[in-house]
Amino acid sequence: MSDAWSLAQRRLHWWSAALVVLTGALAVLMVWLPFSQMLAKFLAYQLHKTFGLLVFSVVLVRLVLRARHPAPALTGLSPGVRRLAGIGQAGMYALLLAVPILGWLTGQAAAGPVPTTIFLVIPVPHVLDPNPALYAWLRPVHQVAAYTLLALAAVHAALAVKHHREGVPVFRRMRW
Amino acid sequence: MRRAHLQRMGLPRRVLLPALFAPTIARAQRNTWLLNQDNAEIAFSARHLGLFTSQGRFTRFEARLELDATRTTDALVEGRIETTAVAIPFPGAEDTLRSEAYFHTARFPEARFSGRAAGITDAGGFTITGRMRIRDIEQPFTMAARLAERRPDPRGDVARFTATGRVQRSAFGMVADRNFTADAITITVGVNLLV
Repeated sequence: MSDAWSLAQRRLHWWSAALVVLTGALAVLMVWLPFSQMLAKFLAYQLHKTFGLLVFSVVLVRLVLRARHPAPALTGLSPGVRRLAGIGQAGMYALLLAVPILGWLTGQAAAGPVPTTIFLVIPVPHVLDPNPALYAWLRPVHQVAAYTLLALAAVHAALAVKHHREGVPVFRRMRW
Repeated sequence: MRRAHLQRMGLPRRVLLPALFAPTIARAQRNTWLLNQDNAEIAFSARHLGLFTSQGRFTRFEARLELDATRTTDALVEGRIETTAVAIPFPGAEDTLRSEAYFHTARFPEARFSGRAAGITDAGGFTITGRMRIRDIEQPFTMAARLAERRPDPRGDVARFTATGRVQRSAFGMVADRNFTADAITITVGVNLLV
């Protein structure tokens, strides 16, 4: 068994990491921008939606690849740590799928309907009508789920650095 | 129902409109209705980047409609809108619309309009031409109006009229965000008249 993930899995891992960071940064920017800067605010929202939906798509492909190619062998970690790492990764996969879907629904439920597009070119259909009561529930759920995902990703990265310093070849397995 | 009956008879709107007010003719030749947010709506919409339309409305306004039931083409309307009472379902948008770049409500707290019916259109409605005053700038304004429905009500029949017109916001000095919001603003008015 190889000790590294496949090239496609490694590339998609780093792509999804970059997209998650970018989507989070755009979320901060789009909320921070005043409404008077309408165009910039609108573009920030659309890019946030675009990258969020790309995260969802990339993670779907990653899950298919993960099902086809088992995880490479990892030595140097105790079974308990490996089990915890597996739980953490499963949680991240779940949130990587759930957060974009929650965001997609949140945008639809908002009282002011704004279309969802991929890079302003490809329209993404809506399945909900504006629903302020649902929006009031969805928005904080989307937000908390996103913060949880970012926190899990930060812990995931910090532990990877820790294990790397301890001589566990985690970065070699996931090199670009 | 009278309208449906008349439509079944194939009568054109120019006959239908005076007929609509037939019950009031006996009482007075010229009736006046006071309109406000309780029996009417004033909404506006704008296109953005050609991608979507935003819609808002005014929540406080008053208007007076004079209508000669025997000559609906001689209707008169005039009114004022409180520009601070703007409602649009986007966080922060109302403050932006009240700002100097738009209605500048601190200086121009109201908009005014007046007009009169100016003939029946080919589509069976009628045209209202008049003046619109926003930010102390007066411009000509035209709306296409029509009788949307007439329905029974415990107090008497209610006739619903709708009117739609377009203004160029730049003509009133509102030139901000032209890279995002179209210059043309559609104004839609709906009134429910107890007849």
